Amino acid sequence: MKKPARLTFLIATVLVVFVFLLAETVVVKIKTTSIRRDPKFTSPAVAAIKAGDTMEKLEARDGWVKVRTKAGVVGWLHSTAVETKKLDLLAMDKTMKTQASAGEVALAAKGFNKQVEDKYRAGNAAADFAAVDAMEKVKPSAAEVDAFLKQGKLGEYGGAR
Amino acid sequence: MSARTKALAAAALAATLALAGCQAIKQGAAGIIASTGKVSREDAQSLVRTAEAVRSTFAEITEEEEYYIGRATAALILSKYTPYRNEALNAYVNVMGTVLAYNSDRPETYGGYHFLVLDTDEVNAMAAPGGFIFVTKGLVNRCGDEETLAAILAHEIGHVAERHGLQSIKKSRLLDAFKVIGSEASRQFNSEELAKVTGIFEGVLGDVVETLVERGYDRKFEYEADKLALSFTVRTGYSPGGLAEFLVGMEEHKPSGTAAGWFKTHPSPADRLARVKTETAALGAVPARLDVRTARFAEAVKNLR
Repeated sequence: MKKPARLTFLIATVLVVFVFLLAETVVVKIKTTSIRRDPKFTSPAVAAIKAGDTMEKLEARDGWVKVRTKAGVVGWLHSTAVETKKLDLLAMDKTMKTQASAGEVALAAKGFNKQVEDKYRAGNAAADFAAVDAMEKVKPSAAEVDAFLKQGKLGEYGGAR
Repeated sequence: MSARTKALAAAALAATLALAGCQAIKQGAAGIIASTGKVSREDAQSLVRTAEAVRSTFAEITEEEEYYIGRATAALILSKYTPYRNEALNAYVNVMGTVLAYNSDRPETYGGYHFLVLDTDEVNAMAAPGGFIFVTKGLVNRCGDEETLAAILAHEIGHVAERHGLQSIKKSRLLDAFKVIGSEASRQFNSEELAKVTGIFEGVLGDVVETLVERGYDRKFEYEADKLALSFTVRTGYSPGGLAEFLVGMEEHKPSGTAAGWFKTHPSPADRLARVKTETAALGAVPARLDVRTARFAEAVKNLR
């Protein structure tokens, strides 16, 4: 084999292996959400999932990702709920431990978190976190959303595009 | 191919892979660069390292961090304003907001979107990072129908989707925070780190709240949110006319003296209206306004004091 051909072959092999390893897994980056039967928010939930859960990516279409959970449930997630997991071989080389990718940091590192909020709350009694908790509790159900769309002739019931 | 060309090609490949975050291949890539004999192994390692992502800007604030910044921002807004006690209206605003968020460019955020009507006659709307959206009773009173309120909510969702609130955080503060936070995969701070990070967190909240309540966003963000509002409402199935109507109404009620509240934190309604009209015309065929929606809006606001 000629030298340039050998280099091209090497690069191609590396890329193929890399793409194969990268494409398969997604990890949930939001607190909680549902996997849905079809790629739309009014579709029935087939499984509840939470931040950090990983699943196999089967297909991507119009901003939605088809996944299979470890328990074998197949369904759809909106792409803004997940991030594609980078191959994590950190454990294989302890000296490289501080070089986590931004994606890994996003999911595992300490940052502005519950611990920081608790410390902040202790020194700022005026900030009304109880009212925020109450605000977060209000979450329309899929049935309420569907009824709202249907009555108002919105979304799939009306002229949405 | 010369050794130098080969080294360059390998370095480019290494940098690409390093950005993608694949450790084993990175090690191999550094080996390839070094094996050419033109670059030492240490230099090869550093070439790979500098191509890696390092947190330095608002864009690298994680979803979870954005959520905690948003929660505390909302808590501070709720220390100035009281929630309007009207469950039916609040439920109506939440389901409408949720539907619009589903049709936005960012339907899922760490803690989801939540909407609340504030008990004040002041006309205003605010969006804390992560999806905590507030509209005042005074603003709801100013809306003539569902399309108008939908346009306001969609505008605020646009600010959240594009992370405009986070962009008001001073860069130096973020760099300080990222330095303390580091990248070790542990979720607990020791007490010294915690005091430091909490101090920075307070500064971050100061930047965000000042922008939301006092200073307003950069006007380019307001124009962007208007454009997104048109897009999200039309995708949902609303007529896009609501935003223009609201702006016409606000222009008519412009205070003659010093601007306060909404007028202080937003560009002039006339200025926005001109752009919104042009953008609406560019949308082409759009859904029509329907009586059934105007009727349920009237029902939802009938007990507004």
